[in-house]
Amino acid sequence: MRQFVDQLIQNGYFAGAPKELVYAGAMIVAALVVLSVFVAPLAGVTSWLERRVWARMQSRVGPNRVGPQGILQWLADGIKNLLKEDIIPASADKFLFSLAPYVVFVGFLSAFVVIPFGRELIVADLNIGILYLLAVTSVVVVGILMAGWSSNNKWSLLGGMRSAAQIVSYEIPAGLAVLTIVFVAGTLSTQGIIKGQGWAPWDWFLFYNPFTFVAFFLYFTAALAEGNRTPFDIPEAESELVAGYVTEYSGMRFLFFFFAEWGNLYVIGAVATILFLGGWHIPAIPALADQPILKGGLQFAVFFVKAYFWVFVAMWVRATLPRVRVDQLMSLCWKYMVPLSFVCVVGTAAWMLIWPQGNRPVSMAMFLLGVVILAMFSKRVGYQIRHARPVLYLRPYI
Amino acid sequence: MSEAIHTEGNGFHTEYMTLNVGPQHPSTHGVLRFVVKTDGEVIREAIPDVGYLHRSIEKIGEKVTWHGYVPYTDRADYLAAMFANQGFCMAAEKLGGIEVTRRGEFCRVIACELNRIASHLIAVGTFGQDIGAVTPFLHALRERETINDLMEMICGARLTYNYLRIGGVGYDITPETCDRITAFLDHFEPITDEYDRLLSYNKIYVERLANVAVITREEAFQYNIVGPNLRACGVKWDIRRDIPYSVYPELEFEVPIGTGERGTLGDCYDRYMVRVREIRESCKITRQALKMLPKGPAIAKVPRKFKPPAGEVYVRVEAPRGDMGYYVVSDGSEYPYRVRIRTGSFTAMGIIDKLSRGLMVADLIALIASLDVDAPEIDR
Amino acid sequence: MEAVNGYVRNIFETVTTIFEGMAITFSHLMRRPMTVQYPDRIPKPVQETLPLRYRGILEVDMDICTGCLACERVCPITCITIGIDMNKETKQRSFSHFDIDICKCMYCGLCAEVCPTGSIRHSQEFEGASYNPAGLVRHFVAQPVGLYKPKKGGETDPTLAKKVEVGMKYLDEFATPEGAGGAGKEEG
Repeated sequence: MRQFVDQLIQNGYFAGAPKELVYAGAMIVAALVVLSVFVAPLAGVTSWLERRVWARMQSRVGPNRVGPQGILQWLADGIKNLLKEDIIPASADKFLFSLAPYVVFVGFLSAFVVIPFGRELIVADLNIGILYLLAVTSVVVVGILMAGWSSNNKWSLLGGMRSAAQIVSYEIPAGLAVLTIVFVAGTLSTQGIIKGQGWAPWDWFLFYNPFTFVAFFLYFTAALAEGNRTPFDIPEAESELVAGYVTEYSGMRFLFFFFAEWGNLYVIGAVATILFLGGWHIPAIPALADQPILKGGLQFAVFFVKAYFWVFVAMWVRATLPRVRVDQLMSLCWKYMVPLSFVCVVGTAAWMLIWPQGNRPVSMAMFLLGVVILAMFSKRVGYQIRHARPVLYLRPYI
Repeated sequence: MSEAIHTEGNGFHTEYMTLNVGPQHPSTHGVLRFVVKTDGEVIREAIPDVGYLHRSIEKIGEKVTWHGYVPYTDRADYLAAMFANQGFCMAAEKLGGIEVTRRGEFCRVIACELNRIASHLIAVGTFGQDIGAVTPFLHALRERETINDLMEMICGARLTYNYLRIGGVGYDITPETCDRITAFLDHFEPITDEYDRLLSYNKIYVERLANVAVITREEAFQYNIVGPNLRACGVKWDIRRDIPYSVYPELEFEVPIGTGERGTLGDCYDRYMVRVREIRESCKITRQALKMLPKGPAIAKVPRKFKPPAGEVYVRVEAPRGDMGYYVVSDGSEYPYRVRIRTGSFTAMGIIDKLSRGLMVADLIALIASLDVDAPEIDR
Repeated sequence: MEAVNGYVRNIFETVTTIFEGMAITFSHLMRRPMTVQYPDRIPKPVQETLPLRYRGILEVDMDICTGCLACERVCPITCITIGIDMNKETKQRSFSHFDIDICKCMYCGLCAEVCPTGSIRHSQEFEGASYNPAGLVRHFVAQPVGLYKPKKGGETDPTLAKKVEVGMKYLDEFATPEGAGGAGKEEG
């Protein structure tokens, strides 16, 4: 991107303007493009898809009227929320109340800086990429706490406090699970971690050794908790806290929280893909060697599909599980996930001492284990269908 | 655990936070209100405030005819209207000395047990939803929808049935409806197993309910807990079995009681599982009743101007929310002199304050859901 | 050792039950949704799929109404009001009004049960929305109509006979002490 701007300057555009100002302007334009072309539709379509997937799992249809199969539902909802009255409660702390949605939003959006879309497509390949990611996603908790406090509502306050406790606790297992991969890859840069893997599943860090396999599930669970998703959605627990920290919000401010929530789902999936699932790697196809655009597109597609699969899994988990209680959430974190993630870190370190180059047969075995788990899962799905004898309907649309 | 953070006496001045749960709170099952004093998330006091859904149903009973009061009883508990119908009809029959026809009794049993399934489906479904699992709730409602369709075929209404008449039932059950009910039961019984696998045995769900809000046997007697909530405490007491009415003595069924399988006897999980098992028992009863359905008229001869002799009766039926009692006084006129309805939900409200002390806010929601209180039944 | 066992068992139970639950929800992606896409995306209107017993909005067939006032008397909330005028010269009685306030009606079906000719009955119609409360009062008499007199030995007028037949068919749905009504007839 820098090269592109340099080229424009050399060609005589922006004559007279200081170089730094041009760079800054270019960055803002790029951010706007990413925001409006990628993130907004992504969060919107994710919200629509979540509602559809949820609905089908609950024997319903879901939104299917706005646009083909309802895919434009998010636009309709956005317009509706824009036109709604923006209510700030009289006794609320007005400044913090208005600021909170943006803090939450910034926290999630900053993560896109280090999330690659392909081998070349990345906003900034920071050499501390993963650390940066862990840091900026924690900003969300500040926003939620602000929202909970400034609303001057007891439900909001309870939600905010729950959220703070939850996110801070789950940073630890998430961080340790990430650390496992950092050990293996030997770098903090997101592109560096991806380059340490390969296109084949047995080259992924997921199957590197049994510890990384466990670390993946620890990471995913902790990330769900950090994203306030069911079964860890206690900060906004609808049946307990009315709507938690968003109780007093309305209109577009309300939507910003959900924008962040759905966008955050993609961040969770993307980080999982970077760390464990081989990122944008595609097999070396000779025909693509001299077609960089096609190759880049393919890489992006591979990355996106992998990341989005975990978005789907998060929706699916949400449709399945009940919510844990706040003290159980803490005991799950401190009694189960933190010790297990330490085991993963120490185990991986030991593994690297014994086999510094990795152990190919074990990777293949772990990959086979993954296949076996999938096969077992399909068997159980078949059993459910046979047992309940429902009317089958295999089309994805209705 | 909760006592450890109680701060009185160690020099700190602390105040309890007063939370107003309801009447617009999402999980108060209608319009209930609790004034809750909490210490952080831990509840110190939860005072139920009833009366938001009071509709003077008992007083209306003194103003309408005996026949005309039956549709009003629907509204006493709209999730289990059939039982409210049956309580009043039984009271009127006892006063007037009317013998219900045999086919009428069987029609009543079939309709009541289907209604019990529907009501318990709501109970276990909303239970799941209050704990945070929305999918099981919709699966439960999906099955209830089929029962509603069946009810529509039986009596023409989906919620406020007004199916029972004094002396029998208003509409006969046709053979076609019988087949539909059997088909539904064949489809439904595997679904209950699936429901168990999806929700009842889920570890998170079990952890949320086990050992929460334990009602002991003695407390249950003191607070007059009835129905499934009483049975969950390990007391084998079912009006259908112990004070038999209708044709229940001829039918074979189990009375499921709490076993404390995952925690303590009488905890939320026992109350949940008793309902799940009662659904299966109701399926069994319905199947038997369909097989035994005799021929003959479905309603006895009752004069239009029904004037039972002066007197008073108290009848009890086993409604999904426990022992439903009708105390009806007649002065020999066209109108009842007094109708008093005794419901299980109202007495269950009394124990909430005692049980909720020391629980968390999330547990209070589980407790309310586990008692399966129903706002219209509390206030009437 | 006990504690370790419990620890491992907790993890195992959590993983297996979540696995099972997710298999169930996934299998629902292959099942037919239950939703009826009322009102437009259904093969035929819901009203046509409802059983004859369905207790929708009340309707009155004035041609076969005998004016016995049984429905007005039995209604627990007096939502039916009937006015009958006597023409002084011809001694003919006719309806001046027959109004049902569906605002008040609780769809209990008691009025339809007592009707001797089945002229007042619940239709399959349930869409009763109106812009004002007055629109919810159904008027069944536009201009004064004469009362129907049932003829001994059956109805002779073919149009009226058809209407009486419809009314009697509706009445057959109700259970009667004689054992007639619904399927009770065929079964004895």
